[in-house]
Amino acid sequence: MTRSTTKHGPAGAAMKPCACPDLQSAMSRRSFLKRTAGAGLVAGIASQGMFTRLAFAGTPYDGDVLVILSLRGGMDGLNAIVPVADPDYPLWRPNVGIPVNHPGLYQLDSMFGMHPAMASLQPFWESGAFGVVQAVGMAQPNRSHFQAMEEMERAAPGTSVRTGWIDRVLGLREAGTSFQGVQMGSSLAASAFLGNSPELAMWSVDSFGLDAAGDDDDERARWDGALRALHTGAPDVLAAPTSTTLDALQTTASLRAAGYVPEHGAVYPSDSRLGDALQDVSRLIKADVGLQVAAIDYGDWDMHSDMGTVDGGWMVDHLTELSGAMAAFGTDLGPALNDVSLVSLTEFGRRVQENGSGGVDHGFGQSVLMLGGGLRGGQVHGAWPGLAEDDLVDGDVDGVNDYRWVLAEVLEKRCRASSVSTVFPGVGSERLGLANVKP
Amino acid sequence: MPARPASATPTLSRRRLLHVTALGTGVAVGGTALSSLLSATPALAGTSSADFVPADLDLHLLRRATYGPTPNLLNQIRSAGRDAWLDRQLAPASIDDSFCDELIAQRYPHLSWSIDQAWNNLEGDWSLMMDLGQAAIARAAWSKRQLFEVMADFWSNHLNVTNPFDGGWWCRHDYDKRVIRKHALGRFHDMLVASATHPAMMLYLNNAESTKDSPNENYGRELLELHTVGVDGGYSEEDMRRSTLVMTGFGMNWDNGHFVYEPTAHYTGQVQVMGWGAANNRAGKGYDVGLSYLAYLARHPATAQRIAVKLCQRFVADDPPQSLVDKLAATYLAQDTAIVPVLRKLFRSPEFAASIGQKIRRPMEDTVATLRILGVKPDLDGTNGIQGLYWMIQDLAHAPMAWSPPNGYPDEADAWRSAAGTLGRWNMHMSIAAHWWPDDLVRPPLRDLMPATDPKTHGDLVDALSKRLVFRTMSAAHRDAVLGFLGRSADDPVDRRSEALGWRLPYLVALILDSPYHEVR
Repeated sequence: MTRSTTKHGPAGAAMKPCACPDLQSAMSRRSFLKRTAGAGLVAGIASQGMFTRLAFAGTPYDGDVLVILSLRGGMDGLNAIVPVADPDYPLWRPNVGIPVNHPGLYQLDSMFGMHPAMASLQPFWESGAFGVVQAVGMAQPNRSHFQAMEEMERAAPGTSVRTGWIDRVLGLREAGTSFQGVQMGSSLAASAFLGNSPELAMWSVDSFGLDAAGDDDDERARWDGALRALHTGAPDVLAAPTSTTLDALQTTASLRAAGYVPEHGAVYPSDSRLGDALQDVSRLIKADVGLQVAAIDYGDWDMHSDMGTVDGGWMVDHLTELSGAMAAFGTDLGPALNDVSLVSLTEFGRRVQENGSGGVDHGFGQSVLMLGGGLRGGQVHGAWPGLAEDDLVDGDVDGVNDYRWVLAEVLEKRCRASSVSTVFPGVGSERLGLANVKP
Repeated sequence: MPARPASATPTLSRRRLLHVTALGTGVAVGGTALSSLLSATPALAGTSSADFVPADLDLHLLRRATYGPTPNLLNQIRSAGRDAWLDRQLAPASIDDSFCDELIAQRYPHLSWSIDQAWNNLEGDWSLMMDLGQAAIARAAWSKRQLFEVMADFWSNHLNVTNPFDGGWWCRHDYDKRVIRKHALGRFHDMLVASATHPAMMLYLNNAESTKDSPNENYGRELLELHTVGVDGGYSEEDMRRSTLVMTGFGMNWDNGHFVYEPTAHYTGQVQVMGWGAANNRAGKGYDVGLSYLAYLARHPATAQRIAVKLCQRFVADDPPQSLVDKLAATYLAQDTAIVPVLRKLFRSPEFAASIGQKIRRPMEDTVATLRILGVKPDLDGTNGIQGLYWMIQDLAHAPMAWSPPNGYPDEADAWRSAAGTLGRWNMHMSIAAHWWPDDLVRPPLRDLMPATDPKTHGDLVDALSKRLVFRTMSAAHRDAVLGFLGRSADDPVDRRSEALGWRLPYLVALILDSPYHEVR
């Protein structure tokens, strides 16, 4: 991806310069813990055992673990979940489109076929654990990577709320362990975590360690003791995160020592940060460390040029990795998938009409992928606005299905959310029927 | 492993703590000889951050007005006196900063490019924006104009234009030069106008796309909410919409990358925002209408309050005393938005003197203070080391100017407390102390941190190193914790083969920097 910006004029969003930098690093952003609500509680329990949940005053969280997969850069949904029965699709994309009679397409319903590179998800479609929502959008189309992500993760259009929606989800609940909210595969949490509830960002379970101590347990104990002692008497703003961090370090050290082997014959894609991150999330889920919401970034979807064809190239590589990692995650979890809901989001879909460089520019309506035992998979959810010229919004798929409806329903039915209007101010009551109520 | 001490987690709320601190801190008179300061007896561990830093006004001023005290800086302020030292810092041109100036000029020569040069030569390359972020770290670490650099960072956040950002490749560095640095110790009114007439701000907050027919409210809103009167400044949504209309036409010339006022985009007709109004009946005069509006906003009492609060949060306390805020706001208005008189008032106030220990270092401040106290110098040539620092600080979520929303990095300790951030700081201290990375930087031998005569015992060693790194000895309990880390008792003798002076020394240095004695600003 080049770091080029055109010098085109500002004649509307379509002409806005798109520098499209390394989105992975530029766009996943830090999160700020305004108040470590549970940290005082955490301080006393480090010695009780590595996987022990905190004793809460209230009920421990028993909803689904929510996994948010952020496909940074703007994933092209139309070449993944292909509207093969829409007569306009091949007309808009004569070169980069998926041939609608391609034998590898997996027919999802009368309208949509799934890209051959996503074949590893077919068993989950058939078992009803994998589903799709088409034409997903937000209140206002926004074709800037940066602003669209920010708006999507703030998820409070028309308000001055500055926190992120995942933070508000965590804020609905009793304070949990230091693992309640985890950004995996990055040192920085997404802006969806911005706000009061603490979360943990880590490249990986194995790398979340104190460099000074390495893997030496005696050294780690030496540091643990000294750091705790040096923060005795320190103000809470320093002492509390010290305890949380040292507790988390104990947990990750124990997890490291225990090692991890995927179960049920799951094979994660090799050399894949996404696969590694999903495997680590599975590891945390099984270790019962108190994980409630996990977020993972999987970037480099900004395919302005040379996206490839159905036979190979950038898009095929990305879909293969994405699907393979999701399928391995589902396989690895096994029965535990019944207590997990994974939802993908991207800041926008792509322009319907291909461009002159073998790619597609920034668009609007996106495809959301869902994986979870309690979700109504085997279906394409959401109204489909069609690809006729008059049905498009500035040349883009109309995002008629608000992404907040998707998340709100998952939160309500799977994640014990009592008040989604706190999480998504003004979201309303419209839902798509994409999840079963968790018993 | 040393026994975990009984939990002493403070139960007082932070706000309450700060009150206790303010009342309970005895403030030493400045001018104490260095030697007598450094031989102060260890204090008992208390429950406030003020117990971790010396009650010494010279050091207090250095911790707040610079990116971190050094022994050399302490000698300077001891001999010059606080007022004279401050006056020099407030007149940065009077300070010879040739080392840093030459460093920037040699290592980042393109930062001197004009908008035209960048527009014509870069072709969308982000290198200049990356240079800018790195240069900010270099300046913070090695400039002698320390207060100026702190203020440049302050204003970069107040009038935030995220660096890097889509569309800033040819002009973001110029925004830093001609908006922020040019006016950092000038008048806020001038800086506000400079920002409103700079392509970087017009692009960043979408005013370049805002027209009378299709207004974009991003800039019009943030101009009120963030840049001037603040969200509680007394404006309505209707005021905000008119604010947007007033500023239509302030935009961007896509032929040359410069700011331009475009009359055809400007809304005409009577406009009223809060207490300001204009007939605004000629598009050709819309630029002057905008300037009149900006002049009103810059001098609004709510703007004065907002800037006073933010300056106090930067230099005094997260919850600053309203008495001081009011004094600074009054000075700001009386001095026609000039910054220097406000800062002078702030640093000479009793509220400032009473605020010892009430700020915590944010990640970049911690990293730079670590470099400064260890005497780390830039790469002998090239920029690998400084670039490494940029990535290091970015991993700590505090790369200069890189905060993505328009409101700038938060300046309250609560906003920065996180497990990942805490672990990141510990690993950062270790990496710099051990010279693991960025290893292109020049780090003096750690043995140089020791007094000329080696300490006789491990207790002496810990005391000597504490004095050198955090300008005081630790409390008895904390000293014991460090000795426990070394597996030694205070009386155990030190010789040349002691691991505390050998392979363990970088770890010992890192541990002391991990402590609240270093974290408190």
